Amino acid sequence: MVSVECELLSNEEDAPGHYVMALAAPEIAAEAQPGQFVHLRTPRTFDPLLRRPFSIMLADKVHGHLRLLAQVVGRGTEILVNTPVGAKLEVLGPLGTGFPLPTGDGDVLMVAGGVGVAPLISLADALRGFEHPAYIRGLFGAADEDMLVCWIEFAGRCDEFYVTTEDGSAGERGLITEALAQQLDRGQAAVAYTCGPVAMMAAVAQMCGDADVPCYCSLEQRMGCGIGACLGCVIAAADGGYLRVCKDGPVFATDRLDWEAILSDQQ
Amino acid sequence: MTSSSPDLSLQIGSLQMKNPVMTASGTFGYGVEYAELFDMSKLGAVVIKAATMKPRVGNPPPRIAETPAGMLNAIGLQNPGADAVISEKLPQLAEYDVPVIVNLSGESVDEYVQLAEKFSACGQVDALELNISCPNVEHGMDFGTRPELTAELVGKVRAASDLPLITKLSPNVTDITEIAVAAVDAGSDALSVINTLLGISIDVERRRPLLGNVTGGLSGPAIKPVALRCVWQVYEQVDVPIIGVGGIMNTRDALEFIMAGASAVAVGTATFVNPTASVEIVAGLQQYFAEHDLPDLGALVGAAHP
Repeated sequence: MVSVECELLSNEEDAPGHYVMALAAPEIAAEAQPGQFVHLRTPRTFDPLLRRPFSIMLADKVHGHLRLLAQVVGRGTEILVNTPVGAKLEVLGPLGTGFPLPTGDGDVLMVAGGVGVAPLISLADALRGFEHPAYIRGLFGAADEDMLVCWIEFAGRCDEFYVTTEDGSAGERGLITEALAQQLDRGQAAVAYTCGPVAMMAAVAQMCGDADVPCYCSLEQRMGCGIGACLGCVIAAADGGYLRVCKDGPVFATDRLDWEAILSDQQ
Repeated sequence: MTSSSPDLSLQIGSLQMKNPVMTASGTFGYGVEYAELFDMSKLGAVVIKAATMKPRVGNPPPRIAETPAGMLNAIGLQNPGADAVISEKLPQLAEYDVPVIVNLSGESVDEYVQLAEKFSACGQVDALELNISCPNVEHGMDFGTRPELTAELVGKVRAASDLPLITKLSPNVTDITEIAVAAVDAGSDALSVINTLLGISIDVERRRPLLGNVTGGLSGPAIKPVALRCVWQVYEQVDVPIIGVGGIMNTRDALEFIMAGASAVAVGTATFVNPTASVEIVAGLQQYFAEHDLPDLGALVGAAHP
């Protein structure tokens, strides 16, 4: 983990309100594991005050670059995506606990919802680099064609790729969980990884649990320090306590979490 | 150019600090979280997360909400309990050459006394900070809002421990100086001024309070003027060292607190924004004192008062 100033190398809108930002961050790229994140400070201001966490979408260890996928959700992210190329951003990272890599045989399922594709791209990228690459079945769901952010980056790292959109503008019309049901029925899945809306991940967790397929999800939460000190970003654990999204996560085995509490905390 | 570097050290009872910059409880975990980012021994002292007798799971999420130039938090004193803090957390801090102050939060006078005895006996802390001002737990502020309760609590803890005693005051009172005077008269060696201000944020889409706990404590630059006013008022009424807390983001803010009457400053929310803020303030103060030919800390404490 380092706290460094990084040059913004490029910044391109991939889908409406979604930007792919590339940063020169050799120390962070060298250390980064799939599923980890960085904490970005909004430039030169105390308002908005707090840093914003972003999953690392790709860590190019050769060139020392990081790619992040930023969705504009409020004033802080609006300011960040409008940072001019060439400017410096204060970056803390890599942070958190990422995805455990598959150990045995069998296929890998990846279930992405919208902007949640970002950490799964980092994972798929890492798995491609294995000597015996895992066979990846990628599933990507979104509201419509426009919201299939960075789908080319995801699809290009999967051996099979399935798309659903709620309006049918791309892929099958429907929810990604329907595609997941078909994939689970095929068997042969050794492990599943998911990131997307909480309701989607809760359903994926349930389905994988029923099918006896270990499942890992990447969560987000309002964050303070980003390094485990402030206990601000916790999420309900299955054992009745709380886990820190920034330090114990953002990736969790889905059976460690209390999904009922997580869903009700959102309402 | 001065011939020797200014003396920024200070003493609170037996607590000897090499400089007046501390961390604020709850924002620095147990210290080790930040050890990768900077050398903790550069700080005057480290104040660790509040400890309670029994483990506490804390409040339901969301626990934090950003507000204009500030944030609300309602962690709810999540901690593993005093015994686990002593056996698991404090030993990790022992390898750093920095005084450790533990923040104590009890549910009754007896519990505060027991906590004080436990931490005094453990030999791993250098001072106690009495948290009589936590806005995020039931009755958390009672001891900090009624002077007669403050006096009783501080008096009994004073009798139970030889460690330097710091009382952390709440700004959520009509007259903070009443509580300050009560704490000092009962034997508090120093005062931390202030804890967070009670606040609420509402999610207009869900039409519900944003925080799981409904209310939370406001911190960050937004509260700095209030904290400065409290330090100013308390300085005029007591003769013990004041630790200024509330929205200190940089050296300039720290200087304002010192000039208002603080002998030390605690850096809290700033650490989330800039993890090395506290050590940058240490360096910044040294530079300011040197540039202005100030021989020691005392030369500036309360300097803004007429």
